[in-house]
Amino acid sequence: MQKSTLNPNVLWPWTLILVLLIFLPFIIPRFYTYILAVIFVTALLAMSLNMVVGHGGLFQFHHAVFYGVGAYAFALMLMKTAMPMWVCFTVSPFIAAAAGFLIGWFCVRLANLYFAMLQISLGSLIWAIAFRWYDLTHGDDGLHGVPIPDWISSTSGAYYFILFFLVLCLIAMYIIYHSPFGTTMQAIRDNPARCSAVGINVRRHQLTAIVIATFFAGVAGVLFVVLEHSVFPDLLFWVLSLEIFIMCLLGGWFTFAGPILGAAVTVALRTFVGIYTEYWTLILGILLILLIFFLPEGVMGLFQRKLRNRRYEEGAPGKRRHAQG
Amino acid sequence: MTDLGALGSQFFVGLSRAMILFVVCSGLSFVLGVLRVPNIAHGSLYMIGAFSAYSITKLVAGPAGFWLALILAPFVVALVSLVAERALFCHLYQREHLMLLLFTFALSLILGDLVKIIWGAEYKSIMAPEVFNGSVSLLGASIPRYNFFLLIVGPLVAVGLWFFTNKTKMGKIARAAAVDREMVGAVGINVSWVFAFAFVLGCFLAGLGGALVAPTVSITLGMDHNLIIEAFLIVTIGGLGNMWGAMVGSLIFGLSQAFGVLFWPQFAIVFPYMAVVIVLLWRPTGMLKSVW
Amino acid sequence: MLKVERLYKSFDGFVAVSGAELTVEQGQLVAVIGPNGAGKTTLFNLITGMLKADRGRVVFNGEDISKLPPHEVCRKGISRSFQIANIFHRLTVFKNVQVAVLSQQGKSGNLFRPAHRMAVHETNTILESVGLLEKADDLAGSLSHGDHRILEIAIALGNQPRMLILDEPTAGMSPDETAATMALIRRLAESQGLTILFCEHDMDVVFNTAQSIMVMHYGKTIIQAKPEEVRANKDVQDAYLGGEGDA
Repeated sequence: MQKSTLNPNVLWPWTLILVLLIFLPFIIPRFYTYILAVIFVTALLAMSLNMVVGHGGLFQFHHAVFYGVGAYAFALMLMKTAMPMWVCFTVSPFIAAAAGFLIGWFCVRLANLYFAMLQISLGSLIWAIAFRWYDLTHGDDGLHGVPIPDWISSTSGAYYFILFFLVLCLIAMYIIYHSPFGTTMQAIRDNPARCSAVGINVRRHQLTAIVIATFFAGVAGVLFVVLEHSVFPDLLFWVLSLEIFIMCLLGGWFTFAGPILGAAVTVALRTFVGIYTEYWTLILGILLILLIFFLPEGVMGLFQRKLRNRRYEEGAPGKRRHAQG
Repeated sequence: MTDLGALGSQFFVGLSRAMILFVVCSGLSFVLGVLRVPNIAHGSLYMIGAFSAYSITKLVAGPAGFWLALILAPFVVALVSLVAERALFCHLYQREHLMLLLFTFALSLILGDLVKIIWGAEYKSIMAPEVFNGSVSLLGASIPRYNFFLLIVGPLVAVGLWFFTNKTKMGKIARAAAVDREMVGAVGINVSWVFAFAFVLGCFLAGLGGALVAPTVSITLGMDHNLIIEAFLIVTIGGLGNMWGAMVGSLIFGLSQAFGVLFWPQFAIVFPYMAVVIVLLWRPTGMLKSVW
Repeated sequence: MLKVERLYKSFDGFVAVSGAELTVEQGQLVAVIGPNGAGKTTLFNLITGMLKADRGRVVFNGEDISKLPPHEVCRKGISRSFQIANIFHRLTVFKNVQVAVLSQQGKSGNLFRPAHRMAVHETNTILESVGLLEKADDLAGSLSHGDHRILEIAIALGNQPRMLILDEPTAGMSPDETAATMALIRRLAESQGLTILFCEHDMDVVFNTAQSIMVMHYGKTIIQAKPEEVRANKDVQDAYLGGEGDA
């Protein structure tokens, strides 16, 4: 039998989680609702990065730039133009994707570390502009009090708004992950030279993947503004880029939902460890070293391998699922 | 608006900035060449170099303190890096590249917070000794004496490093390991120790750079973040692992920044990034031959 | 069908291929032999566009393909396997072949349809013909060495090529596996009318299988002829069969 994309076994835990998330704000304090919303935004950002890193094998080292571009575009459009909120909301991710196309167009010519370096320098260029163009961006201070419409300006309003778009984006990502394009990207990750030998235009595929991923990063940036009502240059600083990289590692590169877990753990740690100590990056560093030494596939990767091994040993019925055309 | 004198002195400002960058980047490039790892913690080690220089000048007053700091601070950094390498990093050499890279990031996070714990979050500064007060006049431009001192130190480090990698046995082994590590292992040299040595030497240079920069800037947390990106870009445009490439890259970076200040102060930091982009589009693998 | 004319390629002053000549007719099984470093793999890389020749032409069905990038050479109908196993080790065996099939069908860029319903029949047919159907859901990285080599061939078949280039398909195999693989190659050539160009170290295999043999030495073509003629050729014996004892 064929495995269906929306296998009920996969679907029902997700539905359960979703229902839980819809009702949680009624019972938990407002602060926790806010933290959950932060996790949603970060998770979407990490998921978008993993589309090119974990599933595409690209050294996307400055992904935060596109998050920042989306956020700044949205904030600036709301503050400086009279465009309605929905227009700004729709246009901003496309601006992020356009930045992704521009930077990606140069980067895909290079491989591995050189790809990373060119992206870091182009990204830093954008960061430097946001940091220095005081008249437009207020530099280091950032922009505050972005006029978000009333119905989503409250914490719970923003929470549901973000949750809705998170779910929408995750469904889109899931479809892409399982599409021929997604499968081909994973093949390119494993072996780009072999892919071009079977007739795949590797660079065009990589560029397309970057544009898609940066679009979703732009959505995450917009959602950040909806939640925080402000933007600042740290959103496009390279430290954030590496932080979301770690989230992907923590959750598991080669799994679909791993980065969500990674983002949740990292944000929760930052919040709750931050209450007790100001040295939270020390803890993050130690955590990262532990990960590298003991869990290089990430938490979800470990689960998946365990699952696969068990199925292997049992010779489970799922094994021959491609047997019939 | 830009007379020749201003242009000239700005040229020397850029040049002396380039020398500090070179000292730091040659270390980064050396580690990159031998271990093939972009060491993100390099910036933190540079910061530790600056902070320990500060502490040494506090312990020993007067000009002696400054010179002592210049000599001892790099060794403090070398010691820190040796501990990190032998305790943790050396166990990862067989692993994927990305893991090594992430390890250095973890190290930079930890070192960053350790600096905060030891030295606190306030700004620190050291004074250069009185010898360096005033300025030297060169080709019609007046340059502060300390900058002039840097212009001498930079080439000295370059020559020393060249001498080390080309004339000493250890240096030759390290260079051979950069090109072909199987071969070096096959002739019975303990590659792990070669790597340790290269790593520590690279970090030593980061520390030296930190100590050298200390009198010219305010020593503060976050100085690592700004430096490391610059250093990476310099090493990339120069050609990975190529020491002279680090020199060329530093000059491009330092000078484009200095002239940027002159032409468009507000966006001065944009210029070096622009220069990097242009170089990489023109020669995607850097100006000089990379050892990779 | 394929004609290589006076091909040259050098790396940093080292001449890898200098004046290679090769003719492959439709439906033929052609072998390229030569000592290590004779330039066989470089020749294959030049034909498939992985490397660009300094001089010379590669003509496939009357069209010069020497300037095309690898993915376009592939679309002309030339597919290849690699000497070192070059597979997608984190994907399942099924997906390894499916990626090639999807590419051949021009569906690699499709973003919205679930891939697991596409190209299933074609992929399974190929897996069945090479005998890997049993292992369709295993991760490619977990296969044995022999199966890696077979999967190599299966991926190359995924493109429905008109011509298949195999770079040492039996490297590192046991005698039994070698025999089975060569039988598979002969079967593919017969049942699907495939034109196959391969290089191989094992002389018994070459002389039993190939209909035409091209001998390379120091990047040059010494001769291309029928096996009997190659065996009788004096130059070949001097340069290769008699001399360095690789045979």
